[in-house]
Amino acid sequence: MSHYQRTLVSGGETDFRRLEGFLARRAGAETVSVIDLRPLGGGAIQDNRLLVVDLAGGPFAGRLEAVLRRDAPSKVAESHSREHEFALLEAAHGAGVTVPEPLWLCTDGAVLGRPFFVMRRLEGVAAGHRVVRDAALGGERATLAGRLGGELARIHAIMRPHPGLGFLAEPEPTPALHSIQRFRGFLDHHPRGRPVLEWGLNWLERHAPPAGEIVLCHHDYRTGNLMLDETGLSGVLDWEFAGWSDPLEDLGWLCARCWRFGVDHLEAGGIGRREDFYRGYEEASGRTIERAAVGYWEVMAHVRWAVIAVLQAERHVSGAEPSLELALTAHVVPELELEILRMTGEGS
Amino acid sequence: MGEEPGGADLLAIARKVLRRELIGLLPAERRYDGLMVANAMAIAGRRMTAGGEPEARELDRLGRLLGRDGTLDDLNRDLARTIRRGECADPEEVYRHLLETTLNNVRESNPKAE
Repeated sequence: MSHYQRTLVSGGETDFRRLEGFLARRAGAETVSVIDLRPLGGGAIQDNRLLVVDLAGGPFAGRLEAVLRRDAPSKVAESHSREHEFALLEAAHGAGVTVPEPLWLCTDGAVLGRPFFVMRRLEGVAAGHRVVRDAALGGERATLAGRLGGELARIHAIMRPHPGLGFLAEPEPTPALHSIQRFRGFLDHHPRGRPVLEWGLNWLERHAPPAGEIVLCHHDYRTGNLMLDETGLSGVLDWEFAGWSDPLEDLGWLCARCWRFGVDHLEAGGIGRREDFYRGYEEASGRTIERAAVGYWEVMAHVRWAVIAVLQAERHVSGAEPSLELALTAHVVPELELEILRMTGEGS
Repeated sequence: MGEEPGGADLLAIARKVLRRELIGLLPAERRYDGLMVANAMAIAGRRMTAGGEPEARELDRLGRLLGRDGTLDDLNRDLARTIRRGECADPEEVYRHLLETTLNNVRESNPKAE
């Protein structure tokens, strides 16, 4: 447990016993012992750990493999707290979406220093560069693209009002204009001028679609957050950005060029054909996707990812959180800006 | 005058050793960190090679677009404000400037994306 104590818990054994005590209470177990707890790769924003415990007694008796997800030391304005992310996971799980089963939430900072929750671990691979290159993952790819559409439709079946999701903001006056206002607000607090992002935001404002149907959008439904095993989709991860919006926003996000991991001809996330993805969505949702309307949300996707990247990089640049990963995020921005300019250029 | 090799050359040879000889020795879960280090070195090297030239041209274009002098920081903030207010006198000229600036940035940050 030395690595665990070094990296997770400042106070050593005492805190370690607090975690076991918390788990025992919540799982209704007589005793809990932590077998393993170590960092999982990925996630510049959240702190994810693999957690393996042995439970004696109670409904969870036996070995449990889980993921412990804890608030990061500094937070991106865009993302939900662990408490709210847990509520979103519960709503999705309740609606039959393929997600890691949410187990226990701890908002008491005394246990691990910051709030965290525990969810059941899923088997599979999510890392984008592996998913687009390893055709053995996710089964037959046309079927997988359709499945990804169907799964998104299941998320979009979650509607307001929802008893567990009262904390989600209303996207006023429309989802598109609401996002534009928020992004401009973030840029107002950023120390540098970002003329290309302002250009993109003006284009988005001029072309904003009218208010339409509003559903629960995942807001990060893309290659990298979709866990695959050899047969198909094993789980939709990372619910920290979810909120009420136009369903086309999630479709545009998955199809945006910036999430294809270099496999540009497979427009649905570098995984499959856009049409297969659309058809899976249409069959499961009963909605008809207006093809030409998705392009708007692909511009929005690039602007949104660029704004988030700028904010993340600023955590390093300001000295608040020196990190190579955050520093390199700054250098993703130019290619996003280039795509924004190409999509909004002459005649657009 | 400092010794040769200079900064860009040193970064290039150090990066070659890192990529060809060292990254393979890292445990699998740290390999991605090794690649990130190599990427950071590549960006720094391209910036050194490009020198101040692209920024000097950007400053020059900004001065002409906005009709005033200032620092890069100043003028970019000014241009950002002008765009947001929809007050660009010549949007096509602004677009050409943004495209050229962005292409330069892409060449430094990730030339494969151009």
